Amino acid sequence: MWETIIVTPFTNALLYIYKLIGGNFGVAIILFTILIRLITHPLMASQIKGSTKMQEMQNSKEWQDIQKKYKDDKEKLAQEQMKYYKDIGYNPMSSCLPSIIQIPLIFGLYQSIMRALAASPAQLLILTRTVYSFFHVGDLVPLNSSFLWMNLGQPERVYMFGYAIPVLAVIVAITTYVQSKVTMPASTNPKDQGAMMGKMMAVYMPLLLGYFALTFASGLSVYFITGNLIGIAQYAMLGKVNWRALLPGQKPAPVLATRKK
Amino acid sequence: MKKKYLVLLGLLLSLALALSGCAAGLTASSWPALATDAKNAYLAGGPYVYAVNLQTGAQAWRFPASASAANPFYATPVLTPDGTHLIVGGFDKKLYSLDVQTGLSNWQFTDAHDRYYGGVLVVNDMIYAPNADYNLYALSLKGQLQWTFPADQSIWGAPVSDGANVYFGTLGRKVYAVDAKTGKKVWMQVLDGAILGSPIVLKGKNDLFVGTYGGTLYALSTTDGKTLWSKPVSSWIWAGPVLDGTNLYVGDANGKFVAYSASAGAKVWKADLSLNGAIIGSPCLCGGNIVVGTEAGTVYFIDPTGKILQTIPLSTNMKVYATPAAAGILTLVAPTGGASTDPVLLALDAAGATKWSFIPPK
Repeated sequence: MWETIIVTPFTNALLYIYKLIGGNFGVAIILFTILIRLITHPLMASQIKGSTKMQEMQNSKEWQDIQKKYKDDKEKLAQEQMKYYKDIGYNPMSSCLPSIIQIPLIFGLYQSIMRALAASPAQLLILTRTVYSFFHVGDLVPLNSSFLWMNLGQPERVYMFGYAIPVLAVIVAITTYVQSKVTMPASTNPKDQGAMMGKMMAVYMPLLLGYFALTFASGLSVYFITGNLIGIAQYAMLGKVNWRALLPGQKPAPVLATRKK
Repeated sequence: MKKKYLVLLGLLLSLALALSGCAAGLTASSWPALATDAKNAYLAGGPYVYAVNLQTGAQAWRFPASASAANPFYATPVLTPDGTHLIVGGFDKKLYSLDVQTGLSNWQFTDAHDRYYGGVLVVNDMIYAPNADYNLYALSLKGQLQWTFPADQSIWGAPVSDGANVYFGTLGRKVYAVDAKTGKKVWMQVLDGAILGSPIVLKGKNDLFVGTYGGTLYALSTTDGKTLWSKPVSSWIWAGPVLDGTNLYVGDANGKFVAYSASAGAKVWKADLSLNGAIIGSPCLCGGNIVVGTEAGTVYFIDPTGKILQTIPLSTNMKVYATPAAAGILTLVAPTGGASTDPVLLALDAAGATKWSFIPPK
């Protein structure tokens, strides 16, 4: 099911782009990542809108008053929160549902890159069974996995002065950090758990994705970097990028929610 | 707050696991390969190389003592001319020389940058080791590097030699002839598809036969690499053809198995095994017959006239990707894909009956 609906079509689309542009797999990964992000942009926009609304809500005095007032009565607190959601026109699912829908697409994209790279005989055999019949499989192999200074099927290292430097892993970690920081909504509420989680993610995600970039094929790193840059661009298009967050000691002014009239 | 941190940590770990799972496409995976001498069968499969007694089917030794599942063996092991050592490369980028009596390694060659998919060629006291790092390494029998030939792409099939030159194909659709002593290129020929398997040379006739992933069987001149004849087959060819001196036998992904005349490429006979899956491994010339395994897990014994003598279905889920091997009156088949309790090596007699089976001890 997962194979038929996601991995196989994604792999074939990736290979189609690869053929279309004359056999550069690095460019194919970049174009396919952009294509998927464009298709899922409405979901992303909806998620950003929902997150902003939630942030505004958590920064509001009314919300904080409700938290204080009903801190010892969980049932009543839940009722009042729901009432407040309704009053300001906020749907609690609006910030997480689009993310949930995007996750399988991101995983599918990731798997299709790995599938298409087919770095061993067993993987090539699987790829052979994945490609649609309109491709002549013999024409696709070997996939040109050279891109810039990288072999996309291998973890990337640049050898300088006798040291193997994982340049791409560093770029992945930096772009992930920048994306996390500049797209993180501002919060004045010291007990805002979302903001605290965001701060933690800004630390852990660059490390995690940097580790993946260090360990796995560099084609994956190209996908991570492209995804990070597109993510920043998507936020920028919606006017939600906060470049000042990158400067030390800078705290952006929060926005406050208002009840519907 | 501690709970929140734990939840976040859990989420990150889940993501890590999910991505690792997705990256299964990059983790090592392989199917087994076989060699034999008068005493043992040598099975390179999964994380070990096993020596299995041909009389009893019992394990004589296995290498290494402690293995990593991430670094299996795929390349066919090859015996040195004196039969004392077994040369085999692994996914760990190392080429090993193993004592056939003990299974202990007497040297390792660690200069390669990628995995060994192709078996080595051992001839004239030299070892020619193809690697996925695009290089063909020439070593002495003591494992000392003599020369390195850089090819255009990964080399997945074993090289062959006529004594003067070494011939091999690459994933880059090229066939190379390299001087066996100096490592200098003699000629290079571009074909219609990647070459995943091993070519075969007909000594004395100066003919080299190559099957391609483009679905063509080629006969090339060993003198200059020019095409003598070529025959399209019904699908891609994974492993190379075999030759009995007169005819060439080759199977393809559609399960078509064809005998061609080596001299002119005329079709001699065709056996349609397509109901039982793709033919991935090379056929084996075993005991006067041709033995072919299919992806659907069926082993066929075919006589030289094309008559199917035996059809032996293996257990459910078993696939035969490895080239079978002859061991006296026995034919050895190394299936893959079965349950952990299924055998990884079967010894069949001429009637196709199982004489013994080998299940690796835990």
